[in-house]
Amino acid sequence: MLRVDPGALGGMIAELARGCVLVTGSNGKGTTCRMLAQIMRAGGLHPVLNGEGSNQLSGLATTMVAHAAPTGRLRQDFRAIGLFEVDEGSFPEVMPHIRHPAAIVVTNLFRDQLDRYFEPAYIMGLLERTMRSLPPDTTLILNADDPRIACLAADLPNPRLYFGMADTGPCRSEPDPTSDCPRCPRCGGELAYSSVFYAHLGHWACPGCGLARPEPDIRATGIELIGSQSTRLEIATPAATTVISVPLPGLYNAYNALAAVAAATQCQLPEESLQAVGEITAGSYRMERVEVDGRDVYLALAKNANGYTEVLRAVLGDGLPKRMLLGLNTNPGKQPDTSWIWDVDFDAIAGLVLVPVVSGNRAADLAVRLKYAGWPDPGDVIVQPDPVAAFQAALAATPPGQPLWIVSTSVVLSGIRAWLRRHGYVRELWQEFAREQQEQARRPRLRIRPQAPALPASVQPRPVRRRTALPLQTVELPAADMPSAGPVRPLVAGSTVSMPTTADLPPLIAEGDDPAAPAGREASIEDRGAGL
Amino acid sequence: MKITIGYLYPDMMSTFGDRGNVETVRRRCAWRGIGTEITELKLGDPIPAGLDLILIGGGGEAQQRLVAADLHKVKAPGIRDAVAGGTAALAVGGGFELFGRFCQPERGAEYPGVDLFDCWTIRRSTLLGDDYGTIAQAKADRVIGELVVQWDDRLLVGFENHSGGTYLGTAAQPLGLVLTGHGNSGTGTEGVILDSAVGTNLRGPCLPKNPALADFLIAAAVGRLHPGAELMPLRDELEQAAHDDCLQRVLPAGRIRRVRPGRAAGTGPARQPRLTRPQRSPQRASRTTDAATRP
Repeated sequence: MLRVDPGALGGMIAELARGCVLVTGSNGKGTTCRMLAQIMRAGGLHPVLNGEGSNQLSGLATTMVAHAAPTGRLRQDFRAIGLFEVDEGSFPEVMPHIRHPAAIVVTNLFRDQLDRYFEPAYIMGLLERTMRSLPPDTTLILNADDPRIACLAADLPNPRLYFGMADTGPCRSEPDPTSDCPRCPRCGGELAYSSVFYAHLGHWACPGCGLARPEPDIRATGIELIGSQSTRLEIATPAATTVISVPLPGLYNAYNALAAVAAATQCQLPEESLQAVGEITAGSYRMERVEVDGRDVYLALAKNANGYTEVLRAVLGDGLPKRMLLGLNTNPGKQPDTSWIWDVDFDAIAGLVLVPVVSGNRAADLAVRLKYAGWPDPGDVIVQPDPVAAFQAALAATPPGQPLWIVSTSVVLSGIRAWLRRHGYVRELWQEFAREQQEQARRPRLRIRPQAPALPASVQPRPVRRRTALPLQTVELPAADMPSAGPVRPLVAGSTVSMPTTADLPPLIAEGDDPAAPAGREASIEDRGAGL
Repeated sequence: MKITIGYLYPDMMSTFGDRGNVETVRRRCAWRGIGTEITELKLGDPIPAGLDLILIGGGGEAQQRLVAADLHKVKAPGIRDAVAGGTAALAVGGGFELFGRFCQPERGAEYPGVDLFDCWTIRRSTLLGDDYGTIAQAKADRVIGELVVQWDDRLLVGFENHSGGTYLGTAAQPLGLVLTGHGNSGTGTEGVILDSAVGTNLRGPCLPKNPALADFLIAAAVGRLHPGAELMPLRDELEQAAHDDCLQRVLPAGRIRRVRPGRAAGTGPARQPRLTRPQRSPQRASRTTDAATRP
């Protein structure tokens, strides 16, 4: 599609009635999108979102095509809003297709895939250069606790909305070993932290030039980490304070929820709809739970040093020993660099993993890493590069009723998931995605407002286009070419053939004619919602 | 028995998992009953006397510029004196580039190095330049992949990710010969060795998978105060497995270049590196000659 008509994707995105919101950053894009989608649905909008991982240009095009009518235009929906997860490295390629995003959420910036993305400063330059071409009313929704993100494109006139942690309860006493130690974005000096949440996220200031963390508009004023299952958050927005429970563990998910709430506030979604964050299910591989022979198996994806560290902290945060399978792999032909495992804080959890099993095509590297992190006797670590064999070994070592945690990069997880699917424990990812979309559409909606919420100021109403009917042309064929059909014969004896006349046809409504017209459709959705 | 390790710029030059090298030295010493004292040396800290081992990793472009200025102003004489006095050193990736005579980014002024090794780096590009609109464009200008090096009669394995423009002067002795990968400048040599100081493009955590190199450095550090001391051998099954695993990935592809006998053995300190394969493009060949005649 992109090759046939480079403007087609942009055209379709521009047709989204309520504009679109983009989410980018190193970690947490997918989960933030899922949370935000739930809030939007609860608020009466119909988010059009790209499936997990389809966050480069091709994935976005596929998503839009799936929502298009055969005419190549979007199906008409006055509640449709685009919600796109955009890979931070693909940002420059994706942005030209999105002429007028309502808001851009930037979650954080970590070292990630150094062989693919180079250093974080390079990615930051990439984001900043691309943002120069944004319309001046696109709101930037930024993480105030990440010094680089807080000062992203500081000279742009765009409105900025900051989110950050205010409750310093769960903060760490000393800087994190996985920290990127970014320098002051203004003067390049060393930053001082009064509290660190994880890595380089915290309350920062530059003693050199006086630059400090901006006071966030959306603040987490209370964080309660409830074991390895969920989190309770008290979030203060300029309008009110809400307590929401996030059914996902870890501080990083608290940040994801905060980002989603900030974006929802920007979209002027009602306060009550924020509770919908509590309804989200774990995304595929994001602490996805599968029951296998009486044991809960959790699949958690970790792709870089910070992700891996935070997932381990979330799982082992309650201090109780767990059974785990740790995986490390490279994808064939790309991302051969696994040096980041030396930045994962394996040292802190050395005694907490019973019978560790390591797997993946780089299992040998991971085993060496664990040995040097002071994990007990190296002989206790089971090294099994084949994911399925490793999974079976780990499962055998897990007594029924006990959970098994699988933390890994993608290939090991997909290998195990494929086995689980073949044996009927889970469905295909695309089936899960489709089922979820269907369920969401069917789920009764809490109608909070009688009318749809007002358009955000930054979203331009779609121009009304009238389609003019093409004049019909009559072609007269020479009589000699006509087959000798004779009179029309009824197909069944005794019946008559009736040809429709123009009077029987429904009146032609031009697409995009009148926003007020499809009131009947809205009512039917309301009714269905109330009936369920 | 105890050795003192100077860990240079742990906050700014440890972007590529370089902490793995520090951990490897620490643990391998501990398993042998050798104590380690790790001194973190940041911007402004002078090189203290009595270091047995100096370690430096790689960092981002902006960090390297700050570090280069500090090395030149504060630490360079201390490092040169220490190595002359028998201190072992390992400079990896960006740190290796900074331990040479100078480093020339594509844009902006060149920055002076420590001048420990007789080598210099001319980057084909700088990542932060405005020229690259996309990742793909920036990537095309770098050497990224696995690197296998013949070091005397042993093999070193690891990963390289650099612009591939480090050139050796006549006084420099290469650490080894490239069997697979790019190495210093694509002419078949990899790294530099000067007494017990090693510079290499085996980026990031190169010691865990190359216990022989780790023990070479530890032996040199211990030997400073205890000449003739022998290191107790360790059980290195896991390390060896990871090492062999890397060779296995590279070998089936048939990418190991044959090293003719005589080449490896005859590499003397005063020898210019010889071309072991034809240049890939005339552009790069001319670049190499320019650079080689530069200082």
